[in-house]
Amino acid sequence: MVLQDVKPTRSELITLKKRIKLSESGHKLLKMKRDGLILEFFKILNEARNVRTELDEAYKVATDKINLACAVNGVVAIKSTAFTTKGSPEIKLSGHNIMGVFVPKISSIGVRKPLYERGYGIIGTNSYIDETSDAYEDLVEKIIIAAELETTMKRLLNEIEKTKRRVNALEFKVIPELIETMKFIRFTLEEVEREGTFRLKRIKAKAKD
Amino acid sequence: MRLLEKLWGRKKSSRKSDKKKKGTSNYAYAVTRVRAMKSKLMPKETYPRLLNMSIDEITRFIEESDYKSDIDELAMKYRGADLAEHALNRNLAFTYEKLLRITEGEPNYLISEYLRRYDVWNVKTLLRGKQYNASVEDIQESLISAGEFTYTFLSELAGKESYQEIIESLVETVYYPILQEYDGTNLADIENKLDKMYYSSLFDAIGKPRSKDRKLFAKFVKLEADVKNLGNLFRLKKAGVEQLDEIMPLMIEGGFALNTEKLAALPYEDFVEELRNTEYWDAISSVMGPDMDSLTALESKLTKYSLESATTYSHVSPVSIVPIMDYIIYKNNEVNNLRIIVRGKEAGLADTLIKDQLVVI
Repeated sequence: MVLQDVKPTRSELITLKKRIKLSESGHKLLKMKRDGLILEFFKILNEARNVRTELDEAYKVATDKINLACAVNGVVAIKSTAFTTKGSPEIKLSGHNIMGVFVPKISSIGVRKPLYERGYGIIGTNSYIDETSDAYEDLVEKIIIAAELETTMKRLLNEIEKTKRRVNALEFKVIPELIETMKFIRFTLEEVEREGTFRLKRIKAKAKD
Repeated sequence: MRLLEKLWGRKKSSRKSDKKKKGTSNYAYAVTRVRAMKSKLMPKETYPRLLNMSIDEITRFIEESDYKSDIDELAMKYRGADLAEHALNRNLAFTYEKLLRITEGEPNYLISEYLRRYDVWNVKTLLRGKQYNASVEDIQESLISAGEFTYTFLSELAGKESYQEIIESLVETVYYPILQEYDGTNLADIENKLDKMYYSSLFDAIGKPRSKDRKLFAKFVKLEADVKNLGNLFRLKKAGVEQLDEIMPLMIEGGFALNTEKLAALPYEDFVEELRNTEYWDAISSVMGPDMDSLTALESKLTKYSLESATTYSHVSPVSIVPIMDYIIYKNNEVNNLRIIVRGKEAGLADTLIKDQLVVI
């Protein structure tokens, strides 16, 4: 707010006082929201870190298993067996609210399949193929969990950043400027009052003379 | 594999199974040829040396052996481990084709019955490919034409629009009655039935073994059936399948020493206890544990056991089907070992893990 644009009136002062009060309570609330979001973020961060470690591990296991299966059965056999895959896992997307932030909840159906529902015959295959399928099913499950947590983290981070900017704007720009303006109006009003008193005193002195 | 088309085009699109034991058996000639072929196989000392080489060095090494023409033919299309694997498969298919060419009468009949496993494999791959809507090229790359069907015939089948057309093209084969039951959703059942049919046909072909060589051949196939059954019993028990009526349709009948019905009915702990009384226990006891998270070590041990047992008595009947089967086992094992080393090296698997998968007989 540029001071020249301000009308130094009492009504303006009252309005300004109200705005300062509102800004201060808003600032307090936003600070609380920011702290709350940071707490939530760190809670999820630890969980996401564990899931990411598990995901890396699951990926390594799945890669090792498929490499071993390819070595023992041949890529031709693995490729042929992979053709038996039918349907894709179903992903269900819902959501919930964390302090005003909408975060996704991802659930999956049909990722894990029992041995006899995988589509390939039991007699013509072996445990190398079973274990590769198991490892990849595990990997897909971990990817879904990681996707949920990492999207939540991203959204929380965006919200924290936004809230932080608002808190800082209120704390370092809006409220100080309002206070400055209030001081200016107060000073101007006092000055006007002093001028009035002085003027009255002069009139009174002239009247005595 | 498409390069094989030219050469394999000479074969008929499908060999008729009615040539059962046609012609005079030429065991003396066939065994002499097979002996010469066996002498060209890599000695077992080669494998530790290969483990210390890079993929390119291994490919070069293979190229300098019996696999030269295969590597040269396929080098335009593939590289690295893919080149080695396709060359190995091509060579294996050629070798089996040669065996069928040099044998007549009974050995030819027995070998062709044994090699039907590749036909079963190819039929399964064709159905799988069509179910998955895989491209014709992808399906063709997964075919191994080492059985009765020629590559040309299989390629034609791969080019068919739907699985129904493939099944109709196989109307004159022994697989048709089973394939007729395929409705697009029950592929696993069809695959299991085809595999079971393969073993029952093979046992039919062997018949009631009276001579020593037939008994040894029968023992080899029975051992293979036992090893498959045992591995599958472990897989099913681990997957929580306990019902006898669910397990028994997945067991190959006619095994050597396993009473699958009795084993299938037992809970896991009793099943393991019962195995102690079988001849397979010594082979698998070192990898048996209480939880058995992984069955790969167990399957590897069983495969080693069956191959070692099958080749122990191969010298017993020098002029019979036994030396020919012995060669088939050795050749197949050589291809498997080379593939394990190449693929293992490519994937950066530990040398100890690669070594564990090798079967050195």
